[in-house]
Amino acid sequence: MIEHVVSCLRPVVDEVIVVTSAELELPELEARVVIDGEIGGGPLVGIREGLAAATSEFAFVTSVDAPFLNAKYVEALFSLGAAAAPVSEGHVQVLSAIYPCAAWRNADNHLRRGSRRPLRLLEELDYTAVSSDSAVAWCESEGPRPWHGFNEPKEYLEAVRALDPTATVELEFLGRAANRTGPSRGRYPVGTLGEVLARAESSTSLTSGPSLIENGRLRKSHLVCLGGRALVRDLSIPLGPDELVSVIDALAGG
Amino acid sequence: MKGFHGCYWRFDLSRNCGERIAIEDSVLRQTLGGVGLGAWLLHKEAPVGVDPFAPEAPLIFSFSPLVGTRFTTSAKFAVVAKSPLTGFISDALSSSHFAIAGKSMGVDAIVLVGACVENSELVDGRLRPSECWGLSAEETAGRLARFGRVAAIGVAGEQLVRFANLSTEGRHAGRGGLGAVMGSKRLKAIAIRGEVATEIANPDQVDQLVRRLRKRASGESTAKYSELGTIANVLSFDRLGTLPTRNFQASHFEQADRLSAENWHGRRAHKRTSCASCTIGCEHQFAFTSPRQSEESSRANGDQREKKQTRIEYESLFALGPLCGIGDPDVVLAAASRCDELGIDTISAGATLAFAMECGERGLLADAPRFDDPDSLLGWLDDIAHRRGLGDRLAEGSRRLAGAIGQNSIDFAPQVKGLEMPGYEPRALQTLALGLSVGVRGADHNRSGAYEADFSEDVDRLCGNASSAARAIETEDRAALLDSLILCKFVRGAFEDFYSDCADILTAVTGETFGPERLRSVGKGIVDLRKAFNIREGWRPADDTLPSRFLSEPLASGPARGARLPKQRLDEMIESYNLERGWSADGYLPASRLAEIFEERLAVPTSVGSGEGV
Repeated sequence: MIEHVVSCLRPVVDEVIVVTSAELELPELEARVVIDGEIGGGPLVGIREGLAAATSEFAFVTSVDAPFLNAKYVEALFSLGAAAAPVSEGHVQVLSAIYPCAAWRNADNHLRRGSRRPLRLLEELDYTAVSSDSAVAWCESEGPRPWHGFNEPKEYLEAVRALDPTATVELEFLGRAANRTGPSRGRYPVGTLGEVLARAESSTSLTSGPSLIENGRLRKSHLVCLGGRALVRDLSIPLGPDELVSVIDALAGG
Repeated sequence: MKGFHGCYWRFDLSRNCGERIAIEDSVLRQTLGGVGLGAWLLHKEAPVGVDPFAPEAPLIFSFSPLVGTRFTTSAKFAVVAKSPLTGFISDALSSSHFAIAGKSMGVDAIVLVGACVENSELVDGRLRPSECWGLSAEETAGRLARFGRVAAIGVAGEQLVRFANLSTEGRHAGRGGLGAVMGSKRLKAIAIRGEVATEIANPDQVDQLVRRLRKRASGESTAKYSELGTIANVLSFDRLGTLPTRNFQASHFEQADRLSAENWHGRRAHKRTSCASCTIGCEHQFAFTSPRQSEESSRANGDQREKKQTRIEYESLFALGPLCGIGDPDVVLAAASRCDELGIDTISAGATLAFAMECGERGLLADAPRFDDPDSLLGWLDDIAHRRGLGDRLAEGSRRLAGAIGQNSIDFAPQVKGLEMPGYEPRALQTLALGLSVGVRGADHNRSGAYEADFSEDVDRLCGNASSAARAIETEDRAALLDSLILCKFVRGAFEDFYSDCADILTAVTGETFGPERLRSVGKGIVDLRKAFNIREGWRPADDTLPSRFLSEPLASGPARGARLPKQRLDEMIESYNLERGWSADGYLPASRLAEIFEERLAVPTSVGSGEGV
């Protein structure tokens, strides 16, 4: 998810800064990583660290759990030239908002006083409240709002399907799975990895040999690569629209 | 101890005579055979600081306790010497009846020292003038077949090409220039045979274990190798952004589909074969049409190009294909076949050529080979093997070539310690990046299987860290054991509990009790022993690294775009690795280490290293 957020932001900002804890292992990112030394300090600590590290006048602050983050929305929010945040169903989206970078001192003062709510900081900055409808219009596409986070894969997939009932992933079989047919690709409706594999196996003759799924788990002999990067075996992972899913031999290597 | 003969045959080529020298059981218990015993013999027989091409430098054929049993993949041997490419230990494995014949001589190893006074062959225990000089290894083996099983070198070995290999029955001890060491002794071939049986401690139990391993190794655990062979890696590696392309300038090859196992199987004439004593059958041979070599030859043959068949492995395919920017399957197969005929290591040949190609592109090398030029590839291989023109400089390997060119070209010479890199992009496989850096043989994918961690869901392969050390060590230790027993790494997935299963096998063969913990310790001791040889020969901590390219340039394209491996990260991983091995932070062994293992029988100087280290 963090890779999605970074790649979404890269084209519309000068620099992406990821604030993380020292314990967390991040994938390789086209971003500057800043370590937040105050574990468990809450989002305002992360905002302070990120703003302090930034060199621009304003920064867009987002959580990494934002699968529908939209570059046009971020650009439009920046164009307001001031602290700004969308308001949705009465809630100010403090983790999908613009902050002046100099406000890291304000954040620091809040924290010193024991105030850990980002909303208090935005209020102090006299932020511009953007209506949910306006923000959605900026996205130039229907669907879940750009700040929408999901706790469960199922919720995410429902949102994706609601947005585009025809959304598909691209699935390819390599190695033994494609031995008799040559390297093969097909498109299947979005779903969890397990759902997509099961659907592919039942609807095509692409795979040879035993089923890829055994006792509810991916067979040990195989491994799945997502987008050419992450290697996974967890069948509950949700696969988003146009994701490239490659089934390879687990014994990759010599 | 059963399973061994307790001696090696030391043949002095200068004096044309041999003798049997005893090996104590205590040594065999700690080194087993293969690379372990070979490393011990190298310590013992090689004078400190010896030139790899000097007559005093030994060339060792080391067998193992399992050779001659019916364990699948056990007909293997190690060839060990000081590498003319790296100046450090080189131990290459090969599989063939040569191993069985060697053990049937009633010895656990053959050590060749000295040098012949003329080009010679060693047959029936005596030297004779060579009748095969100038022939390929295969032709030589055919001529000498009546004298037993043959190990021979090709033209490249005769010409001291620093990455010349040594061949038996079409398989090669490929890496590190062992064929050149044999060539430096003016020895074309050795033919051996014997009738001595090796005693087995518990034949019934061995039979049982043989059946069990065969059964396990016939299932899914080896199916990739039997169904597709190692070339199944090509397309998967391409998708993962780990397929080195055009001298590691990219990790994604636009013509990978043309070179894929998935496309070849069913569409290109093909047959599958096995090494001696193997039930897996990973060797896939494919038909190819020999490319037209010259106008002259096409006139002579009426433009009828020859149809041939050759075995191909991933490493040969990557090195002679994507690494040189070549996607024509016929050319790549022909090049692999030509390397076999000439007797050169395909990885080093392809990587040295690819390096020269980039030097040419940068204007650093005149008349250099070019990327994406399939028509000239075979000619360059011939020039290397015969040391003709620029081929003479390429025959020295990429590190020496970079040294001659200068102008910081060493920064992108694809080698570690002088050994050219295998087909894994280290920026996109960072546990392996550690394995390649610390490998005692140099850039080595056989003595370190660290890529196994990268090709799993357990690590972020694009971002190595301190925990990579334990994973790299685990695969190195297992490899040390497999390479000493010796069993093929392709059965690595067939064990239920690796150390316990190996202990059962060794106990049944030798009659000694080898528990899993003891074997784990043996594996670690063998790693120490190999490292100690390098330290003895002048290894320094700065040798454990990757070329600057990998530490300064992020991958610019492909699925792993943006992946970077900062030097500081690699250095931290190396330090973690050294400490976890029980070495000093910069990689020296404690002075007591080898004394503990070998009771000070090895003459390992203690004056080198960081003060107290070996």
